Amino acid sequence: MSDLEQSIAQWRQRMLAAGIKTPVPLEELESHLREEIERQIKSGLSLSEQEAFEFSVQRIGQPKVLKREFKKINAPMDIQKIIKLAGIIAVAVSIFCPLFIFLSMLLDHRVSSLPKMLAVAVYATTVATIVFSWKYNHKLLPAIRNQLLRRAVGIVCYGGCLLWIRFGIFHFPPGGLHGGIVLPLFIFGSEWTVMAVFGSIGHGLEKAASKKTEPADLLAGQS
Amino acid sequence: MIRKELVAASAEPLILALLAKGESYGYAIIQEVKARSDGKLQWTDGMLYPVLHRMEHRGLIKSRWGESETGRKRKYYSLKKDGKTAMAKHHEQWSLVHSVLAGLQKEQYV
Repeated sequence: MSDLEQSIAQWRQRMLAAGIKTPVPLEELESHLREEIERQIKSGLSLSEQEAFEFSVQRIGQPKVLKREFKKINAPMDIQKIIKLAGIIAVAVSIFCPLFIFLSMLLDHRVSSLPKMLAVAVYATTVATIVFSWKYNHKLLPAIRNQLLRRAVGIVCYGGCLLWIRFGIFHFPPGGLHGGIVLPLFIFGSEWTVMAVFGSIGHGLEKAASKKTEPADLLAGQS
Repeated sequence: MIRKELVAASAEPLILALLAKGESYGYAIIQEVKARSDGKLQWTDGMLYPVLHRMEHRGLIKSRWGESETGRKRKYYSLKKDGKTAMAKHHEQWSLVHSVLAGLQKEQYV
């Protein structure tokens, strides 16, 4: 192994020791380092390979500083994934649970066609509202920059969503859906919608914060 | 040398504008910005990557692994639809700032 390759291998070790992960972003940084070394050697400054290596390493930056910057990006995203998963569960439950109730109603021959059509309309509205809320609520929600506060609001919303299931939904509508149907049906549909909207707030807040945070501050070291 | 605050604020629009010309990779982006600014816009090399990764997380750009002419592994970045929208927004805002500033400067010489 040449001296340069040995130096690069040692640099990789220092990066790994500082917690820079492989293959991403370490491979990318190494590719950058090699290009910079090549450019330095060809620059006409008569630098030796070792000098070009040291200069290029300096330009890349300190492993610990780099690690800190990458961590800032990845850490919130990992938690974001958990929050997103919780949101997906809430949304899935609020789409599929009423579906069974509505289906049983649609398949019931004792129910006339008008309530059946109404049930389909209510369910379609519920699903559309849930999907719209999941996809676009971040545009309406504020970008809470304080991570603790943002997470707390998200958790409170999930809590509200669970309480809604526990105390609200399973006690409604009184007398089932087969009697006086119009009002219970609408309330039933809107209950699930409210629950899903609540459940997706945590995800929406994370998305709002992520979309509205400027990444460029990192480049000039203003993190 | 350009102030740090301005370097930071201009990074995202510059990266988006460069990628709008076609896919590119970290090293080339840095070199092009340096060349186009006559070396006055100096980015900290390693710090470009957290910025690129953050932009990718935000859905503005996407990446793929490829190979250089010499066979070396390279990560190429390209613009996504949201990136194009963000670039148009940046362009509008920077043009506004520029026109206000140019207008004020012109008035000083009248």
